[in-house]
Amino acid sequence: MMTTAVESHAGTARAESAVPAPLSALGRLLVAADHVRIGAALLTAGAIWAVLAAVVGAVLGVERLDAGGALVDAGALTQLFSLHRFALVVGVAAPLALGVSVLALPAQLHASNVSLPRLAAFGWWAWFAGSVTVFVSYLGNGGPGGGDERFVEVWLLGLGLCVVGLCAVAVSVATTVLARRNGQRLAAVPVGAFAALITAIGVVLTLPVAIGTIVYLWVDFVNARVAFGGADLLSSWLGWMMREPQTLILAAPVLGALADAAVRTAKSRQPLRGVVLVGVGIVATVVFSSVTQQAHVFTLGDTPFDTLASFVPYALFNLLPLLAPLIVILLSLLALRAGKPALSGAFVASFLGVGMVFTGLVGSAAMHLDALGLVNTVFAEAATVYVVYGVVLGTLGAVALHAGPATGRALPDTPVILLSLGGFFATVLASLPHYVAGFLDQPAAAATGYDDSGFVGIANVLVALGHALMALVVVAFVALVVSSRRGAPVVDRYAVGGAS
Amino acid sequence: MSAPALGAGPARRTSSIFVASAFASAGLAALMGGMLATWLDFRAKAPTRIASDGVSVIKDWLKKDIAMPEVAATTMMFTFVIACVMAQWAVYSGRRGDKSHTTLALGVTMFTGLALLNVQVALWMQMDLVLRDDAYQTMFYAVTGMMFAIIASAVVFSLVAMFRVLAGRRADHDVLAGHALYWYSTFAIFTALWFVVYVQK
Repeated sequence: MMTTAVESHAGTARAESAVPAPLSALGRLLVAADHVRIGAALLTAGAIWAVLAAVVGAVLGVERLDAGGALVDAGALTQLFSLHRFALVVGVAAPLALGVSVLALPAQLHASNVSLPRLAAFGWWAWFAGSVTVFVSYLGNGGPGGGDERFVEVWLLGLGLCVVGLCAVAVSVATTVLARRNGQRLAAVPVGAFAALITAIGVVLTLPVAIGTIVYLWVDFVNARVAFGGADLLSSWLGWMMREPQTLILAAPVLGALADAAVRTAKSRQPLRGVVLVGVGIVATVVFSSVTQQAHVFTLGDTPFDTLASFVPYALFNLLPLLAPLIVILLSLLALRAGKPALSGAFVASFLGVGMVFTGLVGSAAMHLDALGLVNTVFAEAATVYVVYGVVLGTLGAVALHAGPATGRALPDTPVILLSLGGFFATVLASLPHYVAGFLDQPAAAATGYDDSGFVGIANVLVALGHALMALVVVAFVALVVSSRRGAPVVDRYAVGGAS
Repeated sequence: MSAPALGAGPARRTSSIFVASAFASAGLAALMGGMLATWLDFRAKAPTRIASDGVSVIKDWLKKDIAMPEVAATTMMFTFVIACVMAQWAVYSGRRGDKSHTTLALGVTMFTGLALLNVQVALWMQMDLVLRDDAYQTMFYAVTGMMFAIIASAVVFSLVAMFRVLAGRRADHDVLAGHALYWYSTFAIFTALWFVVYVQK
């Protein structure tokens, strides 16, 4: 009997070895329903989109170097700007935020897997199929401002698929935190798990609104086109889901990573832990801003009452979210001081990432001050790049923090710190010059109609360089993760007992 | 003589399906809430003009010759009550391990859902709206079509729950509770749509 079993096993092994390795790996990925594979798939796809977004950003920077020249066909510029924004928010920030949550949650909650893993797998495949569909639609002259009607419809379909997929993953993440805490109180779970819950709830409550809008747009587009204005106005109806403060919802896991990295690095307990949770929880207020689908600009009114009526929604939707990264940054420094102050790759990357997110939100708040006249300038683009690249940097930190428990292979510290610094310079280069150019009235989503002499021209060169550097950083980090799995194991400096 | 020490009972496990149903319901509520908000915004901003009598103001939104089948819409409202009662009956029977009643309740819920879909189709046919006319028609078909899809998803949920019970998974109380919650939410979502689209128009 035993002999038969051994023979049977050997036969299976021979049968498996007959399948080529890449096909076997693809097969495993197709049926994967475990958190490591789904999380890794989301993170890998997010990294590919990050490289694409950075390349598009670099091309747009070069294109805007000379307001008179034309590197890109003028008819394709609207789509290129739209692709850049889609790539940054839906292609990069969303899968990174949810991917790191799926990857890390079970280890944080002492669970074997996420809840509803097949739903999470469906979400990953739906998002992946949707993002590829959107990319193909751009290639076929679709998307906002697109000239080919069929590919404009394909763009709407792809975006809808992406949103459905993200919502499915978010439901799995939120359910995991609420249903698989193994007896822990919600207030006692690691801050990273709490932040994942906030992101998931934010995604579940806001992105379905986008699905409703997509349905309206599609029905209108294929029929009368009398209500929503056709392809040229797609971005104006769906723009809220790809700009601040909506992007902060996707940055919450980075806040959690910073809080967890601080206590693990300093081997301390988090002082004022409740305040940290409140800080992360403030991210949830963004939900109210997003569902209004409007930008809340502060204007000085004729009477004090008019001014107050303008200030209250402005403060609620633009100033209040600033507290979230600010509180987490300050208290993570306090945690570092409370223990053995030290630097680690996870801490440096997530600290710089949250700093960039904060800078982007400050820019967004400034942009919504009517007196500064920054609306419809490149300032808005710079704010989004700050936040999204901040999420990328923070994700480097989160991966460094959770790679050991999740995959059994920790990442070496020094390369992570160096790459984080490189990513920090890349983010500043890709964003800060456009903050200045915004004050110099360089228009948003346009390559003509401004004076490119002086600093504006230099700013666009710097922005192009920043995006190119970020592409290199992302590729180098992926290479580091791959090489760490093949090389000698590294001691996991974050593998300490006790929750944050 | 000392009393035997009582061990800690098993930790109370929160149901994944129930929690996920709650999140799915919240997402669908946000979806329909967003669509109805856009509907109300368009209705408020619909152009107005002075009528031929020179006094009254006409809003170019719902055309005068379009008759809203209010009886059919209100029938849908009351049909939802039946579906929800049946879904709760399934929970009640499931807790008592009564397989036949659980299956029957889920079957009735499913067929009530199919009846709701039938009423929706009948309502579209009665109205006989031309889709390519103006904003009202476009938005009407979009919002009611989305409601149709939500009801269809609830019917599928009933079907899946029924098959699980038929397959002998009698301990699936969480699925039955999640199923009932989903139907309650669908009812609440339809109530909002009914008031905005069919009553306020």
